[in-house]
Amino acid sequence: MAVAEDAGSTGHRAAASSGAKRPSRLLRNPMSKIALVPMIAIALVVFLGGTVWTIVYSFTDSGLLPRLDWAGLEQYDRLWSTRKWIVSIQNLALYGFASMIGTLVIGFTLAALLDRKIRFEGVFRSIFLYPFALSFIVTGLVWQWILNPQFGVQGIVRGWGWESFSFDPLNNPNIVMWGLLIAGLWQGTGLVMCIMLAGLRGIDEDIWKASRVDGIPVWKTYIRVIIPMMRPVFVTALVLIASGIVKLYDLVVAQTGGGPGISSEVPAKYVMSAMFGSQNLGQGFAASSMMLLSVVIILIPWAYLEFGGKKRG
Amino acid sequence: MARAVTPQRKAINTIAAWIIGLLIFFPILWTILTSFKTEAAAVAFPPQFLNFDWTFENYTTVQERSSYFRHFWNSVVISLGSTVIGLIIAVPAAWAMAFVPGKQTKNVLMWMLSTKMLPPVGVLIPIYLLFRQFGLLDTRTGLVIVLTLMNLPIIVWMLYTYFREIPVDILEAARMDGASLRKEIIYILTPMAVPGIASTLLLNVILSWNEAFWTLNLTAAKAAPLTAFIASYSSPEGLFYAKLSAASTMAIAPILILGWFSQKQLVRGLTFGAVK
Repeated sequence: MAVAEDAGSTGHRAAASSGAKRPSRLLRNPMSKIALVPMIAIALVVFLGGTVWTIVYSFTDSGLLPRLDWAGLEQYDRLWSTRKWIVSIQNLALYGFASMIGTLVIGFTLAALLDRKIRFEGVFRSIFLYPFALSFIVTGLVWQWILNPQFGVQGIVRGWGWESFSFDPLNNPNIVMWGLLIAGLWQGTGLVMCIMLAGLRGIDEDIWKASRVDGIPVWKTYIRVIIPMMRPVFVTALVLIASGIVKLYDLVVAQTGGGPGISSEVPAKYVMSAMFGSQNLGQGFAASSMMLLSVVIILIPWAYLEFGGKKRG
Repeated sequence: MARAVTPQRKAINTIAAWIIGLLIFFPILWTILTSFKTEAAAVAFPPQFLNFDWTFENYTTVQERSSYFRHFWNSVVISLGSTVIGLIIAVPAAWAMAFVPGKQTKNVLMWMLSTKMLPPVGVLIPIYLLFRQFGLLDTRTGLVIVLTLMNLPIIVWMLYTYFREIPVDILEAARMDGASLRKEIIYILTPMAVPGIASTLLLNVILSWNEAFWTLNLTAAKAAPLTAFIASYSSPEGLFYAKLSAASTMAIAPILILGWFSQKQLVRGLTFGAVK
C-alpha cells in the first residue's frame, strides 16, 4: 500500500518464504537474478549512464556539440551569475514548497470531510481523480483561460458589477507563480485526497470510540492520533507530489511560456533554452547537474531517515 | 468507516461532496461545453451555459487544419507500445522481487523508485544527442523507447505491490505438480494478477498519453502525439478559445471515456495501488 510499508516488510517476507521453500532455493535464485537483469541493466545504463555523462560534460565548454575541452567550473560560474537561472531556481523552490504544503493540507482536509459514508462514492472518487488523468498541457491551457483577465474569473466578476475586482496573476510578474500553483493544486489535490481517504478508512474504529469516550475534540484526535498513524500514507503522497514537482515544465510551457518576461521560468526550461536556443550545451549540462545535485541533497538525508533507520530495527 | 452518522449528517456530507466534485469537474465541463460554441459565444458575456447554438464546426476545423487522427494514432501507438514493452520487462523483475527476495531486494526497489524523483532534464541532453545519432528523433520508435524507460520504475513498483498479495503457496503447489518456471509465471501468476496488471496497464497508458516533456522535445511533426498537437494550438491560436477547447476535448476524451468505463482500475491505478 505504501512505500514505507513495502520496504519495511520485504525483509519479513524474505524470512518467511525462505523457510518454506528451502529445497528449490538453489535452483530459483539464479533464475530470479536473471529475471532482474533487463530492468537493472536499463536503469544502470540510462539513469546512471546519462547522469554521469551529463555531470562530466558540465565541466567542459561544449557549444553546439559536446566536446571534452576541460573548462573547470566556468560553466557553473556563468550559471550562477545568470539572472534567469536564479529566477528559475527561486520559482521552483517557491512552487515546490507551496504545492507540497497546499496539496497535503487541502487533500487531507477534503479527505477528512468525506470520510463518512456517502452516496455514489465511486463516482466522486473518479471525478476527483480526473484532473490527475489529464495532461499538464491541457491543465495549463484551461487555467490560462480561466485566469485570463478578460474572459476568465476577473472578467466575470467585473461583469457582475464589481468593477474594481482584480485577479490577474498570469500578467503580474510578482504573483505569476501563484497562478501556476492554482492549476497545479487543481491537478494534484484529488489524487492526494483519494490516497488520504484510503488511509483514513484503514484506521480502526475503536480509536475514534476511545477518543470520544475520553472527550477529546475531533480536531485534536486528527492531529495527535490519526495523522501520526497515517505516516506511511503521507510518505506515499509526498513521494508522488515530489516527483511531480521536479518535472515542472509542461504546465509552465502551456500556461505562461515562462512569462511575463522571465518571471515564471523554471530550471527545466533553462536547460532547454540553453540547448535549443543559445546552442550552449555546457550551460545546459551545468544546469542539469545542479538540478540533479539539489534533488540528491534533499533526497538522501530524507531517504536515510525514512527507510535506512528501519534496517537494523 | 462506519462511524455513527445521522441521516442529516449524511445528507450534508453528500451535498459537500457534490459541491467539491462540481468545483473540481467544472473546468473540464466548461472546456467540453465551449468546444461546441462559436468563437463569439465562447467569449460572450454573461457566459452561456447551455443556451447557445450547438455547433460541430470547431471539430471539423481542427481536424482539417492539423489532422487529429494522425496525432491520435501516434498517441495510441506510443502509449500502448511503451506500456506493453514495459510490462514484458517488469513482470519477471517484479516476480523475482516479490517471490524470491534477496538481501538487496529492498535496496534495489528503493533505488529504482528514487530514479523517478530525479528530474528528467538530467538525462535529456544525452538522450537527445543519442537519438540524433541513431536517427530516432521524431519517430514513434524513439518515443516508445524513452517512455518505456521513464515509466519502468513505476510499473515494477506497482506489479511488485500486487504480486505480494498473491499467496506463495499457490506457486509452490504448481511447482510441486511439475510446472516449469515459465509456465508458473504465464499460467499461474499472470492470470491471478490480472486486476493488478490491468490497473498498471491503465495507469501507464494514461501517464504515457499525457507525457509532454519528452514528446515536446523529441518530436517535430511526424511522430507528434496529442500533447504536442494541443501545445501547438496554444500559441498561434491562443485567443480562439472554442477551437482550442475542441482540440483539448479531443485530446482528453479518450482518457475520460476509458477512465469512466474502468473506474475501479482507474482509481487503483492512479493512486498507485494505495486505494483498493
